[in-house]
Amino acid sequence: MTKQIDLLQGTLDMLILKAVSLGPLHGYGILLRIQQISKDRLEIQQGSLYPALYRLEHQGWIASEWGESENRRKAKYYRLTTAGKRRFQAEAEKWNRMTDVIAGILRTTPEEV
Amino acid sequence: MTLWSRLRSWLRANLRRARMDSEMDAELRFHLEAYAEDLMRKGVSRQQALRRARLEFGGVDKTKEECREACGVRFIETLMRDLHYSMRALRKSPGFTTVAVLTLALGIGANTTIFSAVDALMLRPLPFPASNELVRIYSIQQGMFNTFGNPDGPSAPDVRDFAERSHSFQSIVVYDTWRKNVNFGDAAGEPEQMSVGLVPAGYFEVLGIRPIVGRLFTEEENQEGKNYVAAISGWLWRSRYADDPLILGRKIRINGEPYTIVAVMPDVIPAWVEPGRHSQIWTPFAFSDVWSESSRGGRGWATLARLRPGVSLEQAQADLSVIAAALAAEHPVDEGVGAAVKRLADTRVGALRPMLFLLIGAVSLILLIACVNLANLLLARNSARQRELAVRAALGAGRGGLVRQLLVETLVLSLVGGAVGLVLARIGLASLARMHTEELPQLTSVGIDWRVLAFTFVVSLVTSLLFGLTPAFVGSRLNLVDALKQGGRSATSGPSSQRVRNILVVTEMAMSLILLVGATLLVRSIIRLERQSLGIRQDHLLRGRIYLPPVRYAAAGTITRFCDDFAARVRALPGVINATVTTVYPPNNGWIQMLDIPGHPVTRIQDIPSAQFGVADAHFLAALEIPLIRGRDFAASDSVTSPPVALISQEFNRRYFPTEDPIGRKIHIGPPQFLRIPRGENTSDDTDVTIVGVVGDFKNAGLAHSPDPQITVLYAQHPLVNYGFKDIVIRTAADPNPLVPEIRRQLHELDSDVPFADVHTIDELVQAETGSQRFTTLLLSSFAAAGLALAVVGIYGVISFLVTRRKQELSVRVALGASRANVLWLVLKQGLEMAAIGAAIGLAGAWSAQRLMGRLLFDVSPVDPLTFAGAAAFLLAVAAIASAIPGVRVLQIDPAQMLRQD
Repeated sequence: MTKQIDLLQGTLDMLILKAVSLGPLHGYGILLRIQQISKDRLEIQQGSLYPALYRLEHQGWIASEWGESENRRKAKYYRLTTAGKRRFQAEAEKWNRMTDVIAGILRTTPEEV
Repeated sequence: MTLWSRLRSWLRANLRRARMDSEMDAELRFHLEAYAEDLMRKGVSRQQALRRARLEFGGVDKTKEECREACGVRFIETLMRDLHYSMRALRKSPGFTTVAVLTLALGIGANTTIFSAVDALMLRPLPFPASNELVRIYSIQQGMFNTFGNPDGPSAPDVRDFAERSHSFQSIVVYDTWRKNVNFGDAAGEPEQMSVGLVPAGYFEVLGIRPIVGRLFTEEENQEGKNYVAAISGWLWRSRYADDPLILGRKIRINGEPYTIVAVMPDVIPAWVEPGRHSQIWTPFAFSDVWSESSRGGRGWATLARLRPGVSLEQAQADLSVIAAALAAEHPVDEGVGAAVKRLADTRVGALRPMLFLLIGAVSLILLIACVNLANLLLARNSARQRELAVRAALGAGRGGLVRQLLVETLVLSLVGGAVGLVLARIGLASLARMHTEELPQLTSVGIDWRVLAFTFVVSLVTSLLFGLTPAFVGSRLNLVDALKQGGRSATSGPSSQRVRNILVVTEMAMSLILLVGATLLVRSIIRLERQSLGIRQDHLLRGRIYLPPVRYAAAGTITRFCDDFAARVRALPGVINATVTTVYPPNNGWIQMLDIPGHPVTRIQDIPSAQFGVADAHFLAALEIPLIRGRDFAASDSVTSPPVALISQEFNRRYFPTEDPIGRKIHIGPPQFLRIPRGENTSDDTDVTIVGVVGDFKNAGLAHSPDPQITVLYAQHPLVNYGFKDIVIRTAADPNPLVPEIRRQLHELDSDVPFADVHTIDELVQAETGSQRFTTLLLSSFAAAGLALAVVGIYGVISFLVTRRKQELSVRVALGASRANVLWLVLKQGLEMAAIGAAIGLAGAWSAQRLMGRLLFDVSPVDPLTFAGAAAFLLAVAAIASAIPGVRVLQIDPAQMLRQD
């Protein structure tokens, strides 16, 4: 198991949107999906997932409905809405631009300044 | 974005909170169990797995709480907290809160009161079906709304011709209202003088009113002799007959004759529809002679008409003008007489119209001043709070939280202000109703107009939001450190916000000066109006009215005898100095008579000499104490059998005998020969009289007009105009009011069925005449006072603020040896500058309002320089005092101590 890093503030939302963009998931599934994609390198406080889900749903980025889980239990499934899709794209773009810039800055050697 | 989805989730969250909670439980339980199962699959025992799942999840309750907050469920709780905090903040600055609430209340209350009244008086549709079809027809002479005798109304034959020839009206009715002696024949038994509407069968039909019980009058009942039927109002039915279901068929005695009640009418006819006072009884319009050709000159009847559907006022007017022109060509007495049509709804306020407009203007200014003051207060408060807000932002309050907090505070303030304003409006309307029942009886039933209340509330709310929330936006963009540093010294605001506050104060000053000038002009006008001499000795003079009905007083001789007896009995009473039975006394006479004066030949109707005319007894001059200028007074020897004599006023002398001695000249009371109006009802006397004396002028055409020519004759010598309507004027040694019961007893000893009505002193009559001016003046003065108070609060606030900011500088000046007077002047100058600019703008505003004011003023120019200068000086003085107070206060502090403070 590689060393886990704490989540940067504000990135959880983006990760959730990414997770549900691949298909409807329940809360626990979202957690697993993020861990799976990140190859367990990200530490997510399990409890903090739900307020984020409720907030995203309140904002209309994701929608929920009750369904049946793999092990035949009732579970609440979240899926990305159209507005959420747009939002995710915008957020992802912003994130990429920012990481580029920051990475560029960090790469800079003293000679280049 | 997704406002809708937010709202939906918020609603769902709040409305179905229990269900949401259980769903949340289920969701979290699922998570924990799924995780535990995964752990168990890795070989952890069930118990251990559940424990770890719980542990790694973190606080379940905390998560739930955060979830709820995410959906806005906590909204209500947050609101309550903000509310609580706002109350505390407002309580902590009671001065600001009181002034802000009062400011709001004043703006809202005054506007709601005045606009509710104006709506009821001028704007609301009349309470009749298709009321915009209802019109009145007036008679006009040379384009003026004035005719001989009574102003305004046409004659009955003219109206009949209008109705026959025009195509614009469904129907036109002629009616009138008369003072009559009414006896209900009930326990009380005392006769009363009431106004009785004399209305044709069609009157109620034109208005579209059906009786509550009974039937309308028939056409036949409009004939004299068949007219002994009456309709009474619902109010009378209730108050006199206790809603007796067997009311129909009961009898009322009117002028000594029995009338059978055939109908009860609903109380929907406003008082102003009927000329004179409000009628509660109606009897048919049964005058045998008004429709005859000889009555064509007898104008002054009230009319009501209903336009045909789709006919415009202009079409009706054009139609009437053509007919009137034709009538003028056909009948000499109609020469130069036109007709005008007005919507009934537009006739309701009459002379009060300009005053109401003035009041609307004044309350609008008050609302403006109130809003400006509010803005000023909020700006001052918030600039003083910038530090507090910065600290809270530094401690982690989000911008949203700060805005919400200020929003709640502003709302609380506005709501409290609105509530107090509502109370003020209720008080205001109640006192309006008490103040002005005589002229505007509609006011008694005015309720609060909720649209106006809502409008004024929204205006003040927007103002407070605008100025109350700016610091939240400005503040949150503010550099935190700067705000804290700056705020550490003294609560300052940038120079731009200070400029805004100065402009606001200048605006307040300007507007309150306009109000001040208006109020002062009105006060001066009313003083001039009331203080002017009436031309008689005004004090200790009582007036009462009697009416001797023709049924028992048919012959002129019996009227003369009754009046002489009555006056003699009153004169004999202890405390009475003199008494005269007369129809002539100030301030109004109201009986204009055409005359034929030898040496004044006329051929055109508009050139016919006319004068105020009236009848009296021989005690007339002595009782009223009108000076005799030349010739002799009436004498006891002037009797029925001796040649008729007359007294003329100086104005009469000037106008009709400018060069000759009038004493001994004969004139004819009645129109000249060419008009040949046959003897008709109350328009003509048709006697020759000899002028025996010239008396001093006295007010006979209202307080606002100089005296008209007056000619007074003896009723004993003029049987044709010796009507049953008589007034008695009594001069007493002391307060006349205690004598009234005894005077009434004397009257009832002569005839127990004649009421002694409308008893007032001449002073009271004068005051009634100026009632509407008083009313407007009182209201405008209170508005001016309120406006000035607000402006003073405004300037005081700004100057104290400036002084606080300059405290140190001022202390340094004092410490360095500047005289206190000099320092005080520095402070004062700032206030005076604002006041002076405001005053200049205000004077310009008052100047531009001169046309509106001019119509309301008597003997005072609407741009009276003394008033303008005085009001401006007063404003400056008040502003100086308001600015001096904070200045003096800061100078009282020891400069050394002050400098050590910071």
